[in-house]
Amino acid sequence: MVDLIQKTLLYAVPLMIVALAGVFAERSGIINLALEGIMIFGAFVGVWFVRVVQEWGWFAEAKANGDWLALQGFELLAMLVSAILGAVFSLLLSFASVNLKADQTIGGTALNLMAPALVLFLIRILANQSTLYMAEGDAASWFMIKKSTLGIDSSTELNPILEILINKVYLATYVCILLFVILSILLYKTRFGLRLRSCGENPQAADSLGINVYRMRYAGTTISGALAGLGGFVYALTTAGCSANGDVAGFGFLALAVMIFGNWKPLNIAGAALLFGLFKYIAASYSSIEVLSNLGISSYFYRLLPYLVTLIVLAFTSKKSRAPKAEGIPYDKGQR
Amino acid sequence: MKTVQPDNVIEMLHITKEFPGIIANDDITLQLRRGEVHALLGENGAGKSTLMSVLFGLYQPEKGVIKKNGQEVKINDPNDATALGIGMVHQHFKLIEVFTVLDNIILGAETTKLGFLQKKEARKKVEAISEKYGLKVDLDARVEDITVGMQQRVEILKMLYRDNEILIFDEPTAVLTPQEIDELLVTMRAFADEGKSILFISHKLNEIMTVADRVTVLRKGKCIGTVNTKDTDKQSLSNMMVGRPVQLEVVKDEAKPTDTVLHVENLTVPSTTHKRNAVNGVSFDVRAGEIVCIAGIDGNGQSELVYGLTGLEKSSGGTVTLCGKDISHATIRQRGENMSHIPEDRHKHGLILDFTLEQNMVLQRFQEPQFQHFGFINAPAVREYSDRLIEQYDVRSGQGSITTARSMSGGNQQKAIIARELDRDKPLIMAVQPTRGLDVGAIEYIHGQLVAARDRGHAILLISLELDEVMSLSDRILVMYEGEIVGELDPKKTDVQELGLYMAGAKRQSGKEARGA
Amino acid sequence: MKERLSKLYAKDGTKTVLSSIISIIIGMVVGSIIIVIVGACTSSLGINSVGEGIQLVFGGLFSTGRDAAGNLTFGFNSTNLGNMLFRAFPLIMTGLSVAIAQKTGLFNIGAPGQYLMGTAATLYVALSIPTSTSTLYEGGTVPSWLVWVLAFLAGMLAGAIWGAIPGLVKAYLNINEVLACIMCNWIAANLVTWVFDGSALRNTLESGKTGYIYKTSYNDVATAKLGLDKIFPDSQVNGGIVIAIVIAILIYILMSKTTLGYQLKACGSNRHAARYAGISDKRNIVLSMAIAGALAGTGAALYYLSGNTEFFWSTYQSLPDAGFNGIPVALLAANNPIGVIFTAMFMSMLDICGLQLTNLTAYNEYITDVIIAVIVYLSAFSLVIKQMLTTRKKHKDEPAAAAASASDAAPPTGDDTEPDAAPPTGDDTEPEAAVQQTVKGDD
Repeated sequence: MVDLIQKTLLYAVPLMIVALAGVFAERSGIINLALEGIMIFGAFVGVWFVRVVQEWGWFAEAKANGDWLALQGFELLAMLVSAILGAVFSLLLSFASVNLKADQTIGGTALNLMAPALVLFLIRILANQSTLYMAEGDAASWFMIKKSTLGIDSSTELNPILEILINKVYLATYVCILLFVILSILLYKTRFGLRLRSCGENPQAADSLGINVYRMRYAGTTISGALAGLGGFVYALTTAGCSANGDVAGFGFLALAVMIFGNWKPLNIAGAALLFGLFKYIAASYSSIEVLSNLGISSYFYRLLPYLVTLIVLAFTSKKSRAPKAEGIPYDKGQR
Repeated sequence: MKTVQPDNVIEMLHITKEFPGIIANDDITLQLRRGEVHALLGENGAGKSTLMSVLFGLYQPEKGVIKKNGQEVKINDPNDATALGIGMVHQHFKLIEVFTVLDNIILGAETTKLGFLQKKEARKKVEAISEKYGLKVDLDARVEDITVGMQQRVEILKMLYRDNEILIFDEPTAVLTPQEIDELLVTMRAFADEGKSILFISHKLNEIMTVADRVTVLRKGKCIGTVNTKDTDKQSLSNMMVGRPVQLEVVKDEAKPTDTVLHVENLTVPSTTHKRNAVNGVSFDVRAGEIVCIAGIDGNGQSELVYGLTGLEKSSGGTVTLCGKDISHATIRQRGENMSHIPEDRHKHGLILDFTLEQNMVLQRFQEPQFQHFGFINAPAVREYSDRLIEQYDVRSGQGSITTARSMSGGNQQKAIIARELDRDKPLIMAVQPTRGLDVGAIEYIHGQLVAARDRGHAILLISLELDEVMSLSDRILVMYEGEIVGELDPKKTDVQELGLYMAGAKRQSGKEARGA
Repeated sequence: MKERLSKLYAKDGTKTVLSSIISIIIGMVVGSIIIVIVGACTSSLGINSVGEGIQLVFGGLFSTGRDAAGNLTFGFNSTNLGNMLFRAFPLIMTGLSVAIAQKTGLFNIGAPGQYLMGTAATLYVALSIPTSTSTLYEGGTVPSWLVWVLAFLAGMLAGAIWGAIPGLVKAYLNINEVLACIMCNWIAANLVTWVFDGSALRNTLESGKTGYIYKTSYNDVATAKLGLDKIFPDSQVNGGIVIAIVIAILIYILMSKTTLGYQLKACGSNRHAARYAGISDKRNIVLSMAIAGALAGTGAALYYLSGNTEFFWSTYQSLPDAGFNGIPVALLAANNPIGVIFTAMFMSMLDICGLQLTNLTAYNEYITDVIIAVIVYLSAFSLVIKQMLTTRKKHKDEPAAAAASASDAAPPTGDDTEPDAAPPTGDDTEPEAAVQQTVKGDD
C-alpha cells in the first residue's frame, strides 16, 4: 500500500506539474504541444548539470560527510537549472507562435523532434553512450530522503502515513506540489493571472483594455516551458534514477491529456494526474502486484494501458470540456 | 452647446489612414465639443470604425494630429486613450465570456495589493456607478449567461469605471430592441448633459435625428461635412451619406401566392450553448410566389431555425415538409434537392475561401452527371457553367472563374453565392441576412433579385435583422422571440413600433393567430 | 487566359519552392553551426574534424570514404545514391500520408503507429504463408509473388485501420486528432511488441539476430529489383521506389482531378461550408485518415518486403523515424504529392549524410535529426517566409497591381465593401480571412 501510494505519487506529481505547464500556455492562448520535447530537454539539462557538478567535486565533501541538507540544495539547484533552460527552450515556440504567428501545432512538433535529436546528439558527444547517467552513484544514494537520512533507524516501524511522507521520498516531489499550489493561486487570485486568462479567451478584448497580449503570451509560454523543463528533470530524477536518454515515452502528451481531462482547472488536474499516475504505476510495476501478475496477461498490455485509458477518458470527456476560446489562434495586433 | 465659444474637447485634424490597397480615412477632420452628442454617419465601409480606432489608439494614422483640449496628444495604444479619458463601446463587445461581470469591468484597471486582486473596493465603486445611472447588472453573473442588452451595460460600466469623459459608441443599437434603443438614447443624453462628450457612430438616421446635436458624414473614406441636426433632415443626410438620391423603397407588385412549398409543424431545435431549446415548437407555411420574413432581435432562435430547416443541426421534434415530402430527418444533401440556402455567414458557410470561384460555384453540384465522369471532375463543364453564372449575375473578380474566392470583395462574394443559389432553381429559397455588411448598391441589386425570383414563382423565406429590409421586402412578417413565433404581421398594416413590441416580447398573438394560417 | 493561368501557378509554386529551399538552407546552416560549437567546446574534436563534419553534412551523398592519407574523398557513389532511393520510398509514403491528411485539415502525427501496424501485418503475412520456394518452411505451395501481394495488402489494410481510429474519434467525439494519434502510436508500439513476443517469426537461424524478425527473403518473398541493382550496384534499392512514385502520382490525380479529392479538400479548407453543401465532413475525416493510414502502412510494406530489411521487434519504447519524418517531407513539399517525391529524396539524402558522419567522423547521425527538426520548425512559418517573398515582389509590381485592382473595384455598382472587409472595422465576422484578402487581393 505504501509502495502503491508512493509510486503513484512519483508519476502523478511530474504529470501534474507538466499539465499545469500546459494550462499556463493554453490559458494565455498558445497550444504547447512541445511539452514532451521540453521535458526531454529539461531532463537532459538537469542530469547533465548534476553530472558536471559532480565532476567538479563541489558536493563530494557533503556526500562523504553525509550532509544531506547540502545534497538537497544540490537537487534544488539542478531543478532550477532545468527549469531555466526549459524556459529558454520554450522561447523557440513563443517566438514562432507569437511573433511569427506560425502554426502552433507544427511549431510544437518541431520542438518535439528537435529535443530528442539534440539531446541524443549531445549525449553521444559528451558521454559516448546512449544514456546519460550521473558521474557517480545514483539518485537513490545522493538525493533520496530515507529514514536513515533523517537519523531514524531504518528498522523502526513508523506510522504508515509518516512512512509514506518521509521514507524513500524526494524533496523534488514536495517542491512540485508547493509550486503547483502557488501557481494555481497566481492564476486565479492575482492581476497577472486575470490578465493571462483574458488573453486566452479573448485577446482582442484584452488588447482593447491596454493589456499587452504578446507579452502575456510570452509569459504564459515561458512559465510553461520552465514547468515542463522542471517536470522533465523531476521525472528523470524520481523514476529513472537521474538518467536521461532522450525519451520520456509520451509522458508530455499524457500531461496534455490530463490537462484536457482536468478541464484546464488546477484542482481537477491534480485529481486527473493521480488517476493517470496510478495507471503509470501499474504499467511500471505490474509484476510486483500479485493480483495482476497472476492474471497472466502480457506485460505489454499493462504498458499500453495508460495510453488506452487516455484515449477512452478523452472520448468521454471531450464533449464537456471547454478549452480556452482563443487557444491556437495567432493574435495579430493589426486585426482588431 | 450653451457656450458661445465652441469648446472642443477632442479634435481630430486631417487624419489619413491607409491599409494595403485602400485609403480608409482620407484627410478627415472631426471636432467634438464638451457636453455634446456628436454623430458619425456613414455606410458600411465608409471609414467610421477606422477613424474611431485611430482615436482609441488601435491604429496609428499616416497623417494628421489629434488634440485634446487644444493640446496635441499622441495615442499609441488603448492605455493612452484611457489615460486621456477616452472610452469606447465596441460594436462587437470586447468581453471575456467566461469571466464574471465584475472581472470584466475591472480587467485592465484592477486595484491590487502586492499583485493580489482587491475586488471588494472595485465592487463598491461599480455598485455606486450602476446605482447613479440606473445601469442594473448582476456583478457575479458570467457574461455568457446574460442578455445582449445587459452585456452592453457592462461595456458602458467599463467606461464609467475608468472615469472616462469622452465616450465612443460604435453602432450600439444594432443588437437592441426599439424599446432598449430608446432607453440607451436617454442614457446617452444624460451623460452629455452631465458634461461628458459622446461620439455616436451609426447609419440609422432616426436615432441620429433624435439624440445627436451635430453630425459628421463620411463617405468612402472622405469627410463630406459636419451639420447641426436641427438644420437638416433625414433625406439630405441620406443623400450626403450615399452621394446620390436613394430609393428607400423596394418596388414590387402585389404577391400572388399559390401552393404551399414549405410546411413547418412544431419544429423544435435544441440549443448548442444553453439548456433550453433554441427553437421551440415553431409552425408556419411558406407558399410559392411570396416572401415571408422572419423578424426578430439577433439571438432569438432565427439561426437555429435555419439550421433546423437545412439540416445543419438536428431537430429534436416536429416535422418539416418541403414540396410534399417529409424531410424532418433527411440529410443536408437530400434537403438541398428542393431548397436553396443563402447562408448567414458567407465566410463560414457560404464559400470555401481558398477555392477558386468555379470550384465554389459547383459546391453542391459537383456530383451531378454533367460535372463528373466516373468520379473524375469534368473541368471544362465546370468552367463553362461558372463563366455563364459570372456573366449572368455580373460577379466581378480579378481573374474570372479561377479567382480565389478569398481575394474577392465582400459584395461580389455575396453575389457569387446568390448566383449559385438562385441558379440551382429550387422551389424554396432561404435567404439569411442576404445584405449584411453590404453597401446600398449591392443591397438594391440583391433585393431586386429576390423579388424577381418571387415573381418567377419561388417561395422565399427571408431572415433579417434589419427592420427596414423586413418592412420593405416581405409579403408577410413572422416575429420570433425566444425561440417562438409570437406574431404574424402584414407589412402594409403595421409599423416599426408595433414590430418592436413583438420583437421585445412585450406583445404576442395567441397561438392560432401566429400560426400564419 | 490559359497562359496567364499557368504563369500564375508558376508564380505561387515558385514561391513555395523558394520558401522550402530557404528552410532547407537555414536548417543545414544551423546544423553546421552546432557542429562548429560542439567542435570548439570538445577538446577531442579539432578544427579539422569540424571542417569534415560540415563537408559531410552538405556533401555526404558523394562521400567515398577516406584515402590513404586519411583525408575525406568525394566522388560519384552509386551505393549511396541507390541507398538514398531505397530509403526514400518509406518516406515518400509517410510523406503522402501526412500530406493527404493535411489537405483535409488534419495533422497526422500518427504515421509512426500506422507504419508500425503496417510493418507487423506485412511481416506476419509474408512470413506465415509458406511459399513454394521458402527456406523457412517445407512443402509450401503458394507462389511467392502471391504472398508478396497479400503481404503488401495486409500492410496497407493494417495502416488504414490504425489511421481510421483517430479519424473516427475526431469525427464523432471531437477529440483532438494529434492527441489521439499520439496515443495510438504508443498503443501500436506495445501491441506490435506483444504480437511478436514469443512468436515463431523471430530470427533463430542467425546468431546475434535474436531481437529481429526474419527477413522476408527467408520465405522467398522480396520486391523485384527491376534492374535497379545493375544501375546502383552494392545498394539496397529495388522496385519499391517505382511503386512509391506511381502511388504518389495516383494520389496527385486523386486529389486534383476527382470528386473525392474535391470533397476532401473542401472539408480541409472549410468544414462548415462543406457541411453546408451536403458533403459529409465526418465521413471525409475518417476516409482521409484511413487513406493516410493506408499510405503509411504501404510505406512499411514496401520497406520490409525488400527482402533484406530486418525488423527489431521489441519496439515498445520507440517509434519508427520513418513515420515522424513524413511530417517534414510533407511540410517541405507544401503537401503536394509530386513535391513529396523530391522532398523525400532530400530527407533520405540527409540520412545518408548522417551515416557518413557516424562512419567517418566523431560526430553522429543525430545531427541530421536536428537539421530535420530545424526544417520542420521553419516550415511552421513557411507562410511568413512566403509572404516575405510576396511583399518583396510586390514592390516591383506595384503600379501594375494597383491598376489591376482599380479596374476591378471601379465598376459603377459602387461595390465598395472591400474597404470594409480589408481593415478590421469590426463589421466582418472573419477578420482572419479579411486581412488575407487584402494581401492576396493585390496579387
